[in-house]
Amino acid sequence: MNLAIPTPGIRRRSVTGLWLRHAVSFVRYWKFVLTWVLIEPVIILVAVGFGVGKLVGTMDDGVSYAQFVTPGLIIGNAMFHALFETSWNAYNRIDNDVYETALTTPITILEITMGDILWAVTRSILTVVGTAIVAALFGWLNHWEAIGMIIPAIMVGITFGALGFLFSAVAPHTTFLTLVFTLVASPMFFFSGSFFPISILPDWVEPIAWAMPLTSAVHIGRGFALASLDITHLWAALYLIAVTAVLWPIAVFLLRRKLIS
Amino acid sequence: MTEELKQTGATNAAARNSGGSVIRVKKLRKLYGDLAAVDGITFSVEPGETYGLLGPNGAGKTTTMRMLSGLSPSNSGSIEVAGINVVKDNRAVREVMGVVTQHDGLDGGLTVFQNLFLFGFLAGLSRKDSKNRANEVLEFFGLRGRSKDNTYELSGGMKRRLAIARSMMTSPKVIVMDEPSTGLDPQSRNRVWEELAVLKDAGVTVLLSTHYMEEATILCDRLSIMDNGKILDEGTPDQMIEHHAPKEVAQLRVAPAALRTVRDYLTEREITYREVGALVSVTGLNGDRPDLSGLSDVEGVRTSYRAGNLEDVFLTITGRELRDG
Ligand SMILES: Nc1ncnc2c1ncn2[C@@H]1O[C@H](COP(=O)(O)OP(=O)(O)OP(=O)(O)O)[C@@H](O)[C@H]1O
Ligand SMILES: [Mg+2]
Repeated sequence: MNLAIPTPGIRRRSVTGLWLRHAVSFVRYWKFVLTWVLIEPVIILVAVGFGVGKLVGTMDDGVSYAQFVTPGLIIGNAMFHALFETSWNAYNRIDNDVYETALTTPITILEITMGDILWAVTRSILTVVGTAIVAALFGWLNHWEAIGMIIPAIMVGITFGALGFLFSAVAPHTTFLTLVFTLVASPMFFFSGSFFPISILPDWVEPIAWAMPLTSAVHIGRGFALASLDITHLWAALYLIAVTAVLWPIAVFLLRRKLIS
Repeated sequence: MTEELKQTGATNAAARNSGGSVIRVKKLRKLYGDLAAVDGITFSVEPGETYGLLGPNGAGKTTTMRMLSGLSPSNSGSIEVAGINVVKDNRAVREVMGVVTQHDGLDGGLTVFQNLFLFGFLAGLSRKDSKNRANEVLEFFGLRGRSKDNTYELSGGMKRRLAIARSMMTSPKVIVMDEPSTGLDPQSRNRVWEELAVLKDAGVTVLLSTHYMEEATILCDRLSIMDNGKILDEGTPDQMIEHHAPKEVAQLRVAPAALRTVRDYLTEREITYREVGALVSVTGLNGDRPDLSGLSDVEGVRTSYRAGNLEDVFLTITGRELRDG
């Protein structure tokens, strides 16, 4: 039996080449891209920050609701970007034989996931930075530490980039892909502490909420945004790394099974 | 085709000097569950040669080529391409070999030029080299004017030729092409054949698969007939025709009203025939011209004779038509 031995080592060109492909395609469609990188999150930010913020008033510690919700929305939105890239877009690349073509160059499956996840990270950073600048103009980000939100932006790109492949690599059709939003993204977005502190949830729900990786990412983002970092943010970061360490190899395994047969 | 194509990677002399076969496949086998998609095939391709795998749907052509490119694990057997053991090192083979996949695999998010340029970059060319080479192959394939178009705006023939152009980005010495001209109209097909002839002139070794006996006859130095995962015979097109095809085949165009008469006539005289569409093909016993004199004045029957070809070879060897598999 000649086993499919994965080629060892990482070829840098595979990763940069794929990243460049995504960047070129992204720039080609920048007018459309702008709507989801910036315009959509800003609309949500304004609606929730001004609208809901008016009803809620001030949170504990004298933080306004808008200040509280801003990092939650920004990081939550980044999750959608990363997931979308490696579920929906990657599915189309599988379906249109774009990966098949790439595989005729000396690239490996692991490198394909690396290139795509690197691009998911790029998108995540772009949307986080863009939206954060707007939020800062509204006065909803008022600490220099908020720049550190780039760190959870990167982590979200990696973790959810890996997670997205779990869907694109097994999806039999695009309808299946909608599960990534109904089962994963939306529940996380609403129960990850983006909109309200997890502590107000019933006791038995709290651990479930903390198990969702977005919760940790939002927690870290808020730590930077409100300049309230402590040891719990380190635990959250370690948890995200652990989740990624499990998801990524599964993503590579499933994608290999899909593309190399 | 007047364009000269620079194949920096290969010249006839260089290819010959490297010594030995460029592709060497031995007892290669691939199972999908219980199905032996490729069932112990052995063949080799010499430097500068164009070699064809001729077979119907499901013969195992694509599976063979995917294993050759390191994109599909084999169950047993060995593959060597340009001295590289593909089973052991499936990355190295893709550094030296160009691949044209059965489906064009063009990137709809990019322009024609970007498809080539980014492929070249991914394959390892510098940005500058990739840009220059992209323009070079676009020129050669007469697609320069379409550089900025989206790939979905191209005709089927242009898409196919762009996929072939892409495989030449790195100037590989050896290219495998899975059905380079399937689905193209005769004009586009001719164009592809001309372009492949130039490649051959440049000393590139080509392994191609095809359903078309005409393509195999025109392009291939040698070919093998593949069916159900097995190679049934191998040789030059002339040898194959000499060994397996009748010298002459009578072809009767038969109007529907006359079909019955013709069938009865042939059956009565125990002359074997086969019907392909509205054509009735009759092969003479022992290669002799069959006696069809009694049909000469039947209304609605026109008889012509043609030389035996690879299609007949396929029929003789497998007992089946090539086209409908
Ligand atoms: N991924 C797969 N899983 C299961 N069976 C497969 C797979 N790929 C190919 N097969 C089977 O292997 C056999 C050979 O298929 P292959 O695609 O190599 O044929 P082919 O000669 O390229 O045919 P075509 O002319 O239609 O392209 C077929 O019976 C096919 O159904
Ligand atoms: Mg095929």
